[in-house]
Amino acid sequence: MGSFGHYLATHFDTLKAEFWFLFVGGVANGLLYAMVAVGYTLVYGVLRLINFAHSEIFMSGGFAGYFVLRAMVGSTVPAGFMSVLIIVLGIAAAGTAGAAAATLVERVAYRPLRRRRAPQLAYLISAIGASYFLFNLAGKEFGHLSVGDPQPYINHTVFTIFGAPVLMYDLIILIVSVVMFLALDWLVGRTRLGRGIRSVAQDAETASLMGVNIDRTIAITFIVGGALGGVAGFLYGLNIGVVYNMGFVPALKAFTAAVLGGIGNLRGAVLGGLLLGIVENLCVVFVQAAYIDVVAFGILVLVLLVRPTGILGERLGRTA
Amino acid sequence: MTAENVFEVEHVTLRFGGVVSLNDVSLFQKRGEILAVIGPNGAGKTSLFNSLTGVYQPQEGTITFHRADGRSMSVIGKKAHRVAGAGVARTFQASRMFSALSAFDNVKIGAEDHGGFGVVGAMVRGPRTRHDDRRSDEKTAELLRFVGLADRANVIAASLSYGERRRLEIARGLATLPEVLLLDEPAAGTNPSEKLDLARLIRRVRDELGVTILLIEHDMKLVMSLAERLYVLNFGSVIAEGTPAEIRANPVVIEAYLGTSAEASA
Amino acid sequence: MIPTFLQRAPIRRLLIVLGIVAVVELITGPPGSNQYPTSGFTGSYAEAASFFGLFRTQRWVEFVALALVAWGIVEFWTRFGATIRSRGSVALAGPRQVSEKRPVRVGFALALLVLGILLPHIVNNAFWQSALVTYVAIYVLLAIGLNVVVGFAGLLDLGYVAFYAIGAYTTAWVTGALPTPPPFGHPLDAFWAIPFAVVFVVIAGVLLGAPTLRLRGDYLAIVTLGFGEIITIFANNLYGITGGSTGTKQIPHPVFHVGPIKYTWGLAPVPYYYLALGSVVLFLVVFSLLQRSRVGRAWTAIREDEVAAESLGINPLKFKVMAFAVGAASAGFAGVITASADNFLFPSSFTLVFSINILVLVILGGMGSISGVVVGAIIIQVIQAYLNHTPPAGYQQPDLYIYVGALLITMMIFRPAGLIPSRQRRREITLYETSHEGHPDEVLLGDDV
Repeated sequence: MGSFGHYLATHFDTLKAEFWFLFVGGVANGLLYAMVAVGYTLVYGVLRLINFAHSEIFMSGGFAGYFVLRAMVGSTVPAGFMSVLIIVLGIAAAGTAGAAAATLVERVAYRPLRRRRAPQLAYLISAIGASYFLFNLAGKEFGHLSVGDPQPYINHTVFTIFGAPVLMYDLIILIVSVVMFLALDWLVGRTRLGRGIRSVAQDAETASLMGVNIDRTIAITFIVGGALGGVAGFLYGLNIGVVYNMGFVPALKAFTAAVLGGIGNLRGAVLGGLLLGIVENLCVVFVQAAYIDVVAFGILVLVLLVRPTGILGERLGRTA
Repeated sequence: MTAENVFEVEHVTLRFGGVVSLNDVSLFQKRGEILAVIGPNGAGKTSLFNSLTGVYQPQEGTITFHRADGRSMSVIGKKAHRVAGAGVARTFQASRMFSALSAFDNVKIGAEDHGGFGVVGAMVRGPRTRHDDRRSDEKTAELLRFVGLADRANVIAASLSYGERRRLEIARGLATLPEVLLLDEPAAGTNPSEKLDLARLIRRVRDELGVTILLIEHDMKLVMSLAERLYVLNFGSVIAEGTPAEIRANPVVIEAYLGTSAEASA
Repeated sequence: MIPTFLQRAPIRRLLIVLGIVAVVELITGPPGSNQYPTSGFTGSYAEAASFFGLFRTQRWVEFVALALVAWGIVEFWTRFGATIRSRGSVALAGPRQVSEKRPVRVGFALALLVLGILLPHIVNNAFWQSALVTYVAIYVLLAIGLNVVVGFAGLLDLGYVAFYAIGAYTTAWVTGALPTPPPFGHPLDAFWAIPFAVVFVVIAGVLLGAPTLRLRGDYLAIVTLGFGEIITIFANNLYGITGGSTGTKQIPHPVFHVGPIKYTWGLAPVPYYYLALGSVVLFLVVFSLLQRSRVGRAWTAIREDEVAAESLGINPLKFKVMAFAVGAASAGFAGVITASADNFLFPSSFTLVFSINILVLVILGGMGSISGVVVGAIIIQVIQAYLNHTPPAGYQQPDLYIYVGALLITMMIFRPAGLIPSRQRRREITLYETSHEGHPDEVLLGDDV
């Protein structure tokens, strides 16, 4: 007992010393999780279905961004306007690729089943098939080895919070994700399109009787969620690099985030992502790096067992 | 000594988020009685059934189920299969058959004992298992005869007519040897002659098998001819109680029905 | 938006066929790499090929020709398919009825068993003799176990590999091949790993199942997937207990030694084949008995309508946990046989990919149909063994998973009940797809409060 107390004491000291440093990294990770989590939540909202293939949408964005960087970044690290341009192009390419992949998945793996009113098990299996197909195809076309993204900017410290450095990378994630979340909130909350999505989420049958085009609404939901997931894949790749199965673990964590915040709830997904990112990063102090993923899955299992509706509760229609 | 009441519901309140589905509901049912709960759509009838069978867990109040052997059970907090095992059987509003199974298998699943045996016991067809199996088969055949589906035993449940499915669901419920049978709109979707058969069947269930009947029904003619006593629910609260004649004359009930929809004319 | 002539049904079908052919061309083409990311694409379409041996051209020409033929078949089938099918089912009705008679089935099973026993002597080739164990028998064992969980009880378990891993690690532990000291202080024979493994996987099944099987289907899938990952992470990192990422290479061959009877398995694959075949037969008998017992009926009830099942006094959680534990047992067996035949184990063999591969075997044959699952598993595994043994040009081992993914989607679209479906499962699927009420957990309309 004494030694355990000592263990906690020393680790809490480390935590205190490193807190802001870990916090900044946690927020950056958390925002990425949140961007992916939003995709799960949107699709869940309208289809009551976990899109198992979302990890591959993330991966598509990662690769699309990687190819833009390869084409644009020369032998020296760009700076200034050039950096901004390259990143904007990368985001555009990744978002497009993510949206395209999501659309493809919806058209090929889900829509035929929806037409047939298939049971849930069939959707899950079809989604797993789509995921499997896509990431292994990526492995075949782009190799099975991880490759680092060429750096489109100098990753220097922009400013510090309580002594913790905030890098250019963290700042880019912050700006991009906040802009996208605001745009999404506006889209779902204020536009006609968003009303359609919310009404389908609440009651598909009634919505279709009221003249909402369900197929189109679902397609748009996939496009929006896919674009966000793709961009997240690009931003993730900037730091970690890209590889055919890069989507698996981040997507599982993003799913955890979505469940944590309350699946089907957009603000919940963002909150869940941030929370998971921060908690996970702070845990680095207490457990070995190899077990960090165990922490995330542990949180997932715990949330599902204790409070499956998450912190803010399910329901896209009501709270978005 | 046998308790006189089967169900005693006291001050039960059930909420979903902000929506109050049952509001301070108190009622009781006597053993051997055919009791009906009526009320407009959304009045909380099915919520009451789900609370009585352990599917929903009301936040406040008590529900006590008294068995014929004198033992009592507090329903709230119990899992649905425990309540069913104690002797409360039910049917569902949109009948929920195991549609891909034959009528016989549907009833047999109800007739079988689902506890007190292991994997190995079920697999190795020892004398005990074989005996149980034979008994379930006999009970199933008997119940199918009782509800008049003996000649339909091998038909897939999904290909039965609406009325037949309703009777099959009653047989399946009876197969669990219940003390009370809860029927959730048994006549929905049946034609007039099927309705008549159904009313006769329900009365036989009580008279010949001694099973107490609790009934939700929209068809007023059926309810009034069948039930010995009624409760009227509106907006989650009990607004009236009495014999069919009393209910028919109750101004509060008339207003509740005329104020909401034309269901009273049905 | 879309020109009207493109919306006409035959044209639309042609476009779909062309799209599919383009994908087929891509996945059968040469691989690319991250240095030359376009080489896979250019190679797939622009590479030289012989036009069905007639003249030399490029791959896309050959494939477009193929697409046109395929389109022709599709058009023919849309026009005349219904008649052919109805005639076919009339013609098949007789044989089908015969095939469902009990003596016929038993006779058929016995004939297959004899074939199974003679098989290693028929193939009589080192690769295939060993493939019969490592590719076929082990996977059949795993598939029939997962079928109990997915097919009988309707639970999507994506962490099934965990039980296989537990079986394998138990073998290593019992024989003293792990850093952890073996039970009773001294190494036992690998054969004794079987009872240990069965007990452990059943316990693991109950421990894993009891909390998670309360969850809805999709949540269950993702939680079991998470558990599978956790097991791999632990196996990889607990050096002091599991040997870490390098695993162990010192698992001895099993010895059966009771009284005067002593048999030692060696390096030769055929004896392992018989060990595995024996286990398969054992579990086939166990699972078919279970399917026909009241446990099997309770599983069916839960799978079809959990709420109704519960109203009949069936405790869903209890029966789901039972399915989990029973299904795990055969995976434990498979783990023991693999570990003792290979003499080694690495945590990297126990990944999500593995669970999905087993799932594919179950789905191809038909969830819930024991004979279907056996046949499905044999077909896929033989193809896999063949492809790995004699890979066609441009084929790399992981490419198989592309085909597997495509197969899963195709099956769900066109034949969700599998190639050889159980009669009941087929009925279930067609029933709730045609019924107006829909199924309780049908997507999009499944919000029943």
